[in-house]
Amino acid sequence: MTDIKKTYKNYVHGKFVRSESGKVYSIDLKEEKYEIPLTSKKDLRDAVTSSKEGFKNWNQLTMYNRSQILYRLSEMIEGNKDSYISLLQDHGLSKLDSKNDINNAIDTIVWYAGLVDKWEQLTGNLNPVAGEYFNISHQEAIGVTFTLSPNSMSLDELVKSILPALTVGCSVINFSDENAVIALKLSEDVNNSDFPSGSLNLLSGKFENIIEDVGGHVEIKHAAIYEDISKKSKEVLGQKGSESVKRISLIPSTSGLSSIIPFIETKTVWHPKGK
Amino acid sequence: MNNWEYSESIESEKIVNIEKKYGNFIDGKFVTPKSKQYIDTISPSTEKILSSISIGNQQDVDYAVASAKEGLKKWSKTNPSERAKYLFKLARLIQERSREFAVLESLDGGKPIKESRDFDLPQVAQNFFYYAGWADKLDISWGNEQYKPYGVVGQIIPWNFPLLMLSWKVAPALATGNTVVLKPAETTPLTALLFAELCEEVGLPDGVFNLVTGDGSTGSHLVNHKDIKKIAFTGSTGVGKYIQKSLAGRDVGLTLELGGKAANIVYSDAALDEAVEGVVNGIFFNQGHVCCAGSRLLVQEDIEEKFIKKLEKRMQTLNVGNPLDKNTDVGAINSKDQLDKIEKLVNEGVADGGDLFQIECELPKNGFWFKPSLFTSVQANYKIATEEIFGPVLTTLTFRTPEEAVEIANNTEYGLSAGIWTEKGSKILWTADRLEAGVIWANTFNKFDPASPFGGYKESGFGREGGRHGLLSYLKVSS
Repeated sequence: MTDIKKTYKNYVHGKFVRSESGKVYSIDLKEEKYEIPLTSKKDLRDAVTSSKEGFKNWNQLTMYNRSQILYRLSEMIEGNKDSYISLLQDHGLSKLDSKNDINNAIDTIVWYAGLVDKWEQLTGNLNPVAGEYFNISHQEAIGVTFTLSPNSMSLDELVKSILPALTVGCSVINFSDENAVIALKLSEDVNNSDFPSGSLNLLSGKFENIIEDVGGHVEIKHAAIYEDISKKSKEVLGQKGSESVKRISLIPSTSGLSSIIPFIETKTVWHPKGK
Repeated sequence: MNNWEYSESIESEKIVNIEKKYGNFIDGKFVTPKSKQYIDTISPSTEKILSSISIGNQQDVDYAVASAKEGLKKWSKTNPSERAKYLFKLARLIQERSREFAVLESLDGGKPIKESRDFDLPQVAQNFFYYAGWADKLDISWGNEQYKPYGVVGQIIPWNFPLLMLSWKVAPALATGNTVVLKPAETTPLTALLFAELCEEVGLPDGVFNLVTGDGSTGSHLVNHKDIKKIAFTGSTGVGKYIQKSLAGRDVGLTLELGGKAANIVYSDAALDEAVEGVVNGIFFNQGHVCCAGSRLLVQEDIEEKFIKKLEKRMQTLNVGNPLDKNTDVGAINSKDQLDKIEKLVNEGVADGGDLFQIECELPKNGFWFKPSLFTSVQANYKIATEEIFGPVLTTLTFRTPEEAVEIANNTEYGLSAGIWTEKGSKILWTADRLEAGVIWANTFNKFDPASPFGGYKESGFGREGGRHGLLSYLKVSS
């Protein structure tokens, strides 16, 4: 019997799609060779349109609901553990390292799932102002967020470049290059976890092809870069981003409360007290 | 209506001692600028020359940054509770000399003494007091994560609240263990120079606080200096974008507190007299030279006529004139340049078709003045409805439903502040949740406190100043 091979596609607005350009690039693993979408500027713009709607959809849900959706993602991965392990092995990892990485990824997702309805209790507070005022600072998600995942062959590091923004309510466009097969495989479990359309889009390709557009697109409110990019790339991103005072995070923290802080805006509300 | 005039009650200028010429404050002492270039700083209410200050050049900035680098060695070894004590002492000294500071601020900047005395100075002292107490509690401020200071921080501040902005910048930076090179605005450097004297007096270690006066070119040298680890800027969105662009590709922290075009939403179920007070305070406080000024009045259609009538009547009671007169509500426009900008935008507003109401009052002959102004019959696309005027000019738009109010309020690239006036609690919370702004005042406006974070959404900048959140602007996660 002949084995059939999977075609990996981008994941945009809850659908598996090829690049509109038809272009692909190869990822050559030990066993398999995959031709995956080479995301174009137009694909990015489409993803932003989706992500804008996704931001609304994701934020309409209660924190409790969002928390359960993230938890469901960990359940889905747990059920497909073996296929992830063999994919990582195909990327050159030992069986033990692959297993550990998947277990770590599940732990990471469970950690963030449990944080969804708690982080605001840790980042917000009443402010003891000198006067008869009720004054509270609470946080809101910044909005459509682009994340560039690190090139490491690791599901755990991949999810750490997605979950901090997603946890606080941002919609995420995740972009992967050398590790893109892992990301596109993840999209299948994302698709089975009840994420609202557009809340998480996963793209593959070469960052240099779209960097100017990531910087220049005013609807991308935040660009979080988890891979160590060149000085030139940082300049292009920063210069284009400055046109709309875009939030840009280079190598943000990937653990603890500090991992979510780049993705929130603090809103402070005052009201007088009186009779 | 009785037309009773107030008798003059002028605060004496004699309390301040202004030098003819100032150098920079670097390495714990006043030094002659290497640039040897000076400009006059004048009183905008009389156009009288007060002093001349240096325009710092590259060499001056190099010297200040080198001094801050040296200062960092000492400051980082200073026990946090000792750092706190320096800041507590500064707070105390500011309180003791606050009358002097207030007069100087009003002279150099044009703001009413009532405001510099009762608002700016108490807030400045409180701000040092507040952040002093954080210096030895950083380890418990944001959980158990390891944060560390950036190092040498460059700070560039505007002319609208000169000493208050200094305190917003310097107090948290020093409390968190950074050292500072500060550049005040070229039109209002005098209170910062007096503050430098206090640093000498409290024995702050040399190099911890450095001051270089100058203009945009001096600021640019600071931003582009290779040894600066973080820039904190308050000013216009245009300059903020320029700074962000200049820093692109460099590993330099950045916080920006930029412009605004705040909506002050008055629902028809608001307590109207209180709302009128709030709207007046929201736009005419500090001549409207306030980034978070409530410059767009959004009034619900069914009360527009009534509300505008009340508003015009209240505006007419504003006293415009000598900033040192204790009865003055609205002082001088900070500079000729700013006055020109205001006049240009207001003229465009009239040309576009807006109805302009200005109060009847006599303006002093010398100095820069603009009558408190109100525009009605304005379309949302007029420049006066979209651009920051940064003067005593209020633009009125109307709405029918809460949804429309929110849509108009958010229809701007800015997102610094907003106001909501209604007696209905649920409507306040509904509206506040939907407004894209960093600070929201409900049934009040223009309230500030060192414990309360301040800063913008969208193109009003990023980062917060004040409160526990303000610490994060000067700390980074240690890797």
